[in-house]
Amino acid sequence: MEVTRMSSTASRTYLDQFPAEAKVIKAAFWSSFMALAIGGLLGLVQALHRTDVLRFIDSADYYTVLTAHGILLAITFTIFFLVGIFTWAVTTSLDRGVVDIRFTWAWYIMMVVGTILVGVSILGGVVDAIPMYADVLFTFYAPLQAHPAFYVGLVLFVVGSWLAGADWFRTWWAWRKENPDERIPLPTFMALTTTLFWYLCTLGVALSILVFLLPWSLGIVDSVNPLLTRTLFWYFGHAVVYFWLMPAYMMWYIMLPKLSGGKLFSDPLARVVFVLFLLLSTPVGIHHQYLDPGIAEGYKFIAMTNTMFLLLPSLLTAFTVVASMEHGARQRGGTGYLGWLKALPWRDPVFTGMALAGLMFAAAGFSGMINAGMNINYLVHNSWWVVGHFHLTVGTAVALTFMAAAYWFIPQVTGKELWSRQLALGQVLVWFVGMTFMSNAMHRAGLFGMPRRTAEPQYQGFNFDPAVGTVGEINAQVALGAVLLTVALAMFLLNMVLTSFNDDSDSLPANTYAGTLSGPEDSPAVLDNLKLWTAIAVVLVIVGYTLPLASIVESGGLFGPDIGGFQLAIETDPALVLESVREVMP
Amino acid sequence: MRISKGALLVVIAVLIPFVVEFRTALSWFGIELSVLESLVLGGAAILAVVLWAVWPPNGNAEAELSGSR
Ligand code: HEM
Ligand SMILES: [Cu+2]
Repeated sequence: MEVTRMSSTASRTYLDQFPAEAKVIKAAFWSSFMALAIGGLLGLVQALHRTDVLRFIDSADYYTVLTAHGILLAITFTIFFLVGIFTWAVTTSLDRGVVDIRFTWAWYIMMVVGTILVGVSILGGVVDAIPMYADVLFTFYAPLQAHPAFYVGLVLFVVGSWLAGADWFRTWWAWRKENPDERIPLPTFMALTTTLFWYLCTLGVALSILVFLLPWSLGIVDSVNPLLTRTLFWYFGHAVVYFWLMPAYMMWYIMLPKLSGGKLFSDPLARVVFVLFLLLSTPVGIHHQYLDPGIAEGYKFIAMTNTMFLLLPSLLTAFTVVASMEHGARQRGGTGYLGWLKALPWRDPVFTGMALAGLMFAAAGFSGMINAGMNINYLVHNSWWVVGHFHLTVGTAVALTFMAAAYWFIPQVTGKELWSRQLALGQVLVWFVGMTFMSNAMHRAGLFGMPRRTAEPQYQGFNFDPAVGTVGEINAQVALGAVLLTVALAMFLLNMVLTSFNDDSDSLPANTYAGTLSGPEDSPAVLDNLKLWTAIAVVLVIVGYTLPLASIVESGGLFGPDIGGFQLAIETDPALVLESVREVMP
Repeated sequence: MRISKGALLVVIAVLIPFVVEFRTALSWFGIELSVLESLVLGGAAILAVVLWAVWPPNGNAEAELSGSR
C-alpha cells in the first residue's frame, strides 16, 4: 500500500492519496457551506430590510440577524473552509498524512461544538424558547454583552483552530525528521506562517474574552473597560482579515498558475510575501480605531504607517500572480501585449472565479487605502462605504475564491465529478455582477454619510444628498445586487449538493499544484527560519501595542472607568450604556 | 467566434462595473446620466462586444463558420 501510494501519486486524486484526511476536509467544507447558506440568506434579509424593499422582520430584531450574518460568514464560513484548505495543503505538499487522524477529528469537532454554542445563543435573540442572547455583532466588544455560552462557544472555536494549527506543525515536524535537508514546501510554508500570526493575534481576543467579557457576562466582575475590549478585539480584528485572505492568496499562488497552464513565477517572492504578512498583520489593528477617543493620535499614526507597508505584499502578490498567469497563457499559445489574456481558460469556473475574485480585490485595495488614511478615514468611518469595501475583500476576494476552489476541491475529496461546470461558470459571473451592484452602491452611500449597522438608515426630517443619482436608485441597486448574490449562492449550493449525489468518477484530475519557474533554491535559507520571523513579529507587536494599551488601562482602568485622575477619553458607564442598549434591543 | 462563449460571458460581466462606474465618473464633468441612459449605454456596449466576438475576424464569414464548432 505504502509503495503504490508513492509510485502512482501523480495520477491520483486527494481522496485516493489520503482517504482519512479527505473525510475531515469534506466535513469542514460542508460546515462552511452550511454557514454560507444561512449567513447569505440573512444578508438578503438585511439588504431588503434596510432599503425598505421588503420587510419581514421586526426592526428590533435586526441586530440578531446582523450578528448571525457577520459571525456565520466572516468567522464560521471562512475559517471552516480554510482549515480544510490548509490541511489539504500541508498533507499534499509534504506528501504525508497527518500524524494522528483522531487529533484532526478532535479539533474539527471542537470547532463544531463551539459554532453550535455561538449559533444557538445568537438564535436566542429571536426565539423566546432559548433563554440566551448575543446581539453583539461579530465584533462583540463591550459595552454590548452576550450570554456566557456565546463567549464559551467562541473560545472553543478558536482553541479548535489553534489545535488545527498544532496539527499542521506536528505533521511538518514529522516530515522534517524524515527529510532533514529539504526546504519547506511552499504550500506548507504558507499554512505555517499564517498559523503563526493567527496564534499571535488570537492571544489578544482570548485575553479579552477570558479575563474581561466572560467573567463580566457571568457576573463575576461588574464592570469592564469598553475601550480596552475594543482595542483587544481590533488587535485580533485586523489580523483575522489576513487569516481569511492567506488561504485565498495560497490558491492564487499555487492554483491559478497551474490552471493557466504555466508555473508560479517566483517561489522566493511568495515566501517573502507570507513572511511580511506574519510580521505586519497584527501591529496595525488600531487603524480600525482612528475615531476612538482615548487613543492618542501618535499611536494611530504608527498603525497607519504599518498599514501602508502592508500594501507591499499585496502589490507583490498582484505582480507575481499576474506574471504567472501571463506565463501560463503564453505557454498555451497566447501572444501580444494584451492578446495573451484570450488564451486563458475562461471557461473553467475555478480559474474564472479566482481571477474575478482577484480583480475585485484590486478594487478593494483602492477603497482600503482610503480607509487606511487617518484623515480621509473620518469621511467614511462607520458608513456604508466600509461595508461596500469588505464585501469586496472577505465577501468576494475570499468568498468567491473559496467557492471557485470548491469546484476543484469537492471532486478531489469526494471522488465525484462536479455536477455542472456551466452552472459553476454562471455562478461565479452572477456573483461578480451582483457584488458590483451592491458594493458600488454601498460605497457611494457611505460617501454621503449613510450609516452602517442600522435597520433604519433614513433619519426623520433629514435627507441624504447623493453626489450622483438618488437615494432611491442607490437602494434599488443594493437590493438588485443582493438578489443576484443570493441567486449565485443558490446556484453554488445546488451544484455542491448535486455533486455529492453524483457517481464516483475515474476521470478526475490528479491532486497537484503549480510548479515554479524560480524555486526555493533561489532564495536564502533564512526565509524558512520561522523562529526568527516569529520573534520579530512579537517585537513589532510589543512596540505597536504596549504604550497604547498601557495608556488605555491607565486612563480607563483595567475593569472600567471608576478611577480618579485625568481622563483623556469621554468615558461612559458600561452599565448605563448596557441598559439603554437593552431598551432598544429587548 | 473570436473568443470562446465562456470568455464572451466573462467580458460582458467585467464590462458591467465599468458601465456602473462610468456614470459616477461622467458626473465629474458635469454630465449626469439617468439610470435609463446608463442602461442604454451599457446595453450598447454589450451589443458591441457581442458583435465583435461573433464577427469573423477576416470578414470571410463562410470560411470562418465552417471552421468553427
Ligand atoms: C448573499 C450575499 C450577501 C449579502 C446580500 C450581504 C448583505 C449585507 C448587508 C446589507 C450588510 C450591511 C448591514 C448593515 O450595515 O446594516 C452586510 C454586512 C456584513 N456582511 Fe454581508 N452580504 C452578503 C455576503 C457576505 C459574505 C460572503 C461575507 C463574508 C464572507 C459577508 C460579511 C459581512 C460582514 C462581516 C458584515 C458586517 C456585519 C456588522 O456590521 O456587524 N457578507 N451584509
Ligand atoms: Cu484592518
